[in-house]
Amino acid sequence: MEYKNSAAHIYDIQGYAVHDGPGIRTTVYTKGCPLRCLWCHSPESQSYDFELGYLPIKCLGTELCQNACVNACPEGAISADEPIKALDGSGMIQKAKIDRAKCTGCLKCAEACMPKALYASGRDTTVDEVYDRVIKDRGFFQNGGGITISGGEAMAQFGFTLNLAKRLKDGGIHICLDTTGFAPAEAFEEILPYVDLFLYDIKHMDSDTHKKLTGVPNELILENARFLAGRGGALQIRVPVIPKLTDSETNLRRTAEFCASLGEAVKLVQLLPYHKTGRMKYDRLGWRYKLTNVEPPDDAFMLKTLEMFQNTGLNCQLY
Amino acid sequence: MNKFDTPISDRIQKIKEKRAAINKNLRLNFERNRILTEYYRTHETEYPVLKRAGYLYDWCTKREINIEDDDIFLGDAGPQCRTVHFDIEQTSRAWIKGCFGDTDERFRAAWQVPGSVWVDDEDRKWVLEAADFWVGRDIGATARGLFPPEFFERFPEGMDLTNLTGSYPGHFNPNYERAVTVGFGGVRRIAVEKLDAIVKHTTTDNVRSELFYRALIKVCDGMILMSKRYAEGCRKKAETAATPERRAELLKMADSCDWIIEHPARNLWEGFQTVFFYQYLLTADGTHWADSPGLIDSFLGPLLENDIKTGALTHEQAQELCDAFLLHIGDQIIMFPKPDNNQLIEAHKNGKTMFDLQGGMQNIAAGMLITLGGQKRDGSGDYNLATEMLLLSYYRLRVAEPSLALRINKHTPARIWEIAIASSKRSGGMPQFNNDDVIIQTMLDKGVTLEDARRYAVFGCVEPAISGMEWSMASNCGSFGGGAGLLGVLQSCINGTVKKLYEYETFDELKAELEKQIKSSLAYANRLSHFAAFVFNTAWPILSASVMTEGCLESGRDVSWGGAKYNGMGSMFNTVGTVTDSLMVIKKLCFDDKTVSKRELYDALQTNWEGKELLRQQILNEVPLYGNDYDEPDSIMTWITSLWADTFNNLPGVNNGTMNCGVLDLYWTGTGKFTGPTPDGRKAGDPLSPSADPYPNAVKNGPLSYVKSVAKLPWDKMRCGGAINLRFDANSVRGDEATSKVRELIESYFKMGGIQFHFTVADTEVMRAAQKNPQDYQDLIVRIAGFSAYFTHLPFDDQENYIARYELAV
Repeated sequence: MEYKNSAAHIYDIQGYAVHDGPGIRTTVYTKGCPLRCLWCHSPESQSYDFELGYLPIKCLGTELCQNACVNACPEGAISADEPIKALDGSGMIQKAKIDRAKCTGCLKCAEACMPKALYASGRDTTVDEVYDRVIKDRGFFQNGGGITISGGEAMAQFGFTLNLAKRLKDGGIHICLDTTGFAPAEAFEEILPYVDLFLYDIKHMDSDTHKKLTGVPNELILENARFLAGRGGALQIRVPVIPKLTDSETNLRRTAEFCASLGEAVKLVQLLPYHKTGRMKYDRLGWRYKLTNVEPPDDAFMLKTLEMFQNTGLNCQLY
Repeated sequence: MNKFDTPISDRIQKIKEKRAAINKNLRLNFERNRILTEYYRTHETEYPVLKRAGYLYDWCTKREINIEDDDIFLGDAGPQCRTVHFDIEQTSRAWIKGCFGDTDERFRAAWQVPGSVWVDDEDRKWVLEAADFWVGRDIGATARGLFPPEFFERFPEGMDLTNLTGSYPGHFNPNYERAVTVGFGGVRRIAVEKLDAIVKHTTTDNVRSELFYRALIKVCDGMILMSKRYAEGCRKKAETAATPERRAELLKMADSCDWIIEHPARNLWEGFQTVFFYQYLLTADGTHWADSPGLIDSFLGPLLENDIKTGALTHEQAQELCDAFLLHIGDQIIMFPKPDNNQLIEAHKNGKTMFDLQGGMQNIAAGMLITLGGQKRDGSGDYNLATEMLLLSYYRLRVAEPSLALRINKHTPARIWEIAIASSKRSGGMPQFNNDDVIIQTMLDKGVTLEDARRYAVFGCVEPAISGMEWSMASNCGSFGGGAGLLGVLQSCINGTVKKLYEYETFDELKAELEKQIKSSLAYANRLSHFAAFVFNTAWPILSASVMTEGCLESGRDVSWGGAKYNGMGSMFNTVGTVTDSLMVIKKLCFDDKTVSKRELYDALQTNWEGKELLRQQILNEVPLYGNDYDEPDSIMTWITSLWADTFNNLPGVNNGTMNCGVLDLYWTGTGKFTGPTPDGRKAGDPLSPSADPYPNAVKNGPLSYVKSVAKLPWDKMRCGGAINLRFDANSVRGDEATSKVRELIESYFKMGGIQFHFTVADTEVMRAAQKNPQDYQDLIVRIAGFSAYFTHLPFDDQENYIARYELAV
């Protein structure tokens, strides 16, 4: 099959990604997303550009590195922080401190940082490079597993996603595409033959609310879902249950009805209760986490919601 | 709530509580040592095999018969439930004098305070005198009388051979199947026939066999009498039984004890009780660390299924017996190793016990392991109701000992998979999963027949051997390597004992030197192994093993004389990650890229990286290391482990058997403390890499790459076993779907050639909480290496090391 060795920005490749589709999977996470969901647990995935991440625990102190990061910064955004005790007990050190207001994201400090405390939140890659990496894991894919292309929004780097899917399909690999559905219908039409299962998010049924929560309206998303279902696509729909934001009875009922209306195409609906595990990722980027007053939903509510979905005849599970 | 959660009975709950209570009041067992010493004192000139038989007969007929109020199974190897065993003939005089000959105050602080293993004043007095008797008569004395001169030159002062032959070999699968299905009466009959035949044609060559058969008959007589003494004890106890039900139960037990041992067991209770009586004999003979009851579900399953069929037992009653069995088989406790008073006093001051001193091996246990499932001799699957119920017992009871192995093959039922994964999630690493396809092949490579190879069972931690047929003594003789260890050899080749790093012109030159050193150190260790085995051959027969092990009865030879059908000696290497990464760093930085001079790296090692932190960071962050599915480091790993295994496996085996290489470590944290810096960026004193697993910090590409790298180890050469050991976070294994994904991961690893798979589910958060509030996490079990342990009992360093272990999180 013809494919182009398109370039892309990705931020990770993970093996044993057990939450990203059937079987054992390796997931490619692309950068860049048109949505800005309030509960996003991968803030590093939102921007197509690479950002500066910082894990202070790995910093050895600016003195030991002879101010490598401080000197590398053309904007003077990095300085030595207050002296603190080193973790290994070797004495006092001054870790790097970033003035995010001055930082332009040139990432020169990340290049200079030997212990990788300062790092770029992603890397350049190509279809061939990703293929060579993920194909190594094929020994684990025997029982329905395979590759998931995720994001960010994988459709946002369409050339790369399409060509990677083509190349993998040629290799006989099962492909999942994890998508928000927010991409042109033509793009979905083009990629449909190469995708075995769409992991498709339905975040809110009311378009205005959808826009408030994610930054975009939902018409295109619902339309694409209908389109894929009508054209023989297989869908695994994922519904985030976020207390106070998406968990109204009306919204969940309308979501269930919508999923049911898509018919046979929907293989499974997964209800995803809100969790806070992404919070520390915000710190690394120097961002503020917005949902500070939201707690995970309780089990009883999730079970009741599950039952409501199942009553519409859907194959549904809590995840 | 999981579907396997069914309540355990009140009776089992009480037994569990009783064991926990006894753990706070443990006693050292002197009964066995008194009977032994008395016999050896009065029969000094008797031939070793007769002397041993005489002692064992005395032990059977003189020991205290103790029947406790609520117990489901009878007795113990000592006079009370859960006594701690040690062997006085094991070169222990210096230890005894040190501990019990100490000042009164220090003795009491070490042996008579809460939390100590209690020793009475009277026992103290006795053991000090007895220790004098054993001077010149213990196992070490035999060894000193025959070891080669170069050994004493190598270890001049203070080396009293304690570590070499200080204990009985252990590490084998006694033939419990024969004890249960044939019985000591059946064995005795054949021994009498064999003896009669020899007596008619006595020659110099068969005198030793005649003595062996006479000894065997004596042991059988003793055991049959002991069982009848328990019958008598039950009847006596019945007279004062608290309830009519208990009275009826005791009388029924009495009838069974009159029958079993001499005859084959007729039902499940008798089968289990036979296993226990035989276990007591083995423990009384010598404290065999890490022996294992073989394929126990295979030979007890038919009894269990028959009891259910005839209505003799309900499902619940059968499950209760399995639960009781699992609790009681763990009642055997061996002191290993022997701590001195300084250590004990310090431990007691900190609220710790003797068992906390064992560097990770702190379970109050005997290193035992149970194997479930597998194949029958014809290759069909061997899974039955006992497999399922015993697995469920592990799931229900959450105990860390004995260890558990499950054999996996194409016949393994889906339900067994399901319970096993559920159990392993709940009771850290119980069971470990064993790959029949590769392990059976490794048995064939040892020269075992296919039918016998299908009957392997795991003992110790990960070591497979043919159940009831192989004298495998994997550890105590075999692992004494005269200093041979993978990392030790590498250090000597770069740090100066042999050569210095900067003296090599090419990487191939270093490889050649490593090969030379590995070969010579293994050859020397092998020579000592033969001497060690000869010590037992000369004067210390192991009749408790020989009485049942297939081949001994048939050939008229003790296991120590090569009587078993198969003979093996195993040894483990370790630190695969540390060694591979060190070589990779040297190759890449000093020879390929030449970005760091050999002298600079050598100097950094001499100063423990002082002033070389940036170099260390370069190593940690820029060199491709083992555990990431990179071809270059992984091929170095394959080269050095193959070299080690091929060299070891091709050395001459003891008793004309085979040498069996494996890969395992229990002490990478402890050993790390005494190990200098290594070229992989590790500082002096830091933990080493565990067993065959990568160094946790080196893992950068995620779990599948980790598993693939480890699968590249030549597991088909690891006849003595070795496992990959993973930790999942709870989120990764939530729900039924995750269970099937864990199964897929294990099956994938097995298809890639891996032989054993262990995993634990424990979140870092949970372990941090357990460190803060240990009382709330008493049953948190984690897989260490070949065994599991209670997390809160681990020394702090080991807890930290466990938390640092690479976590499969998603």
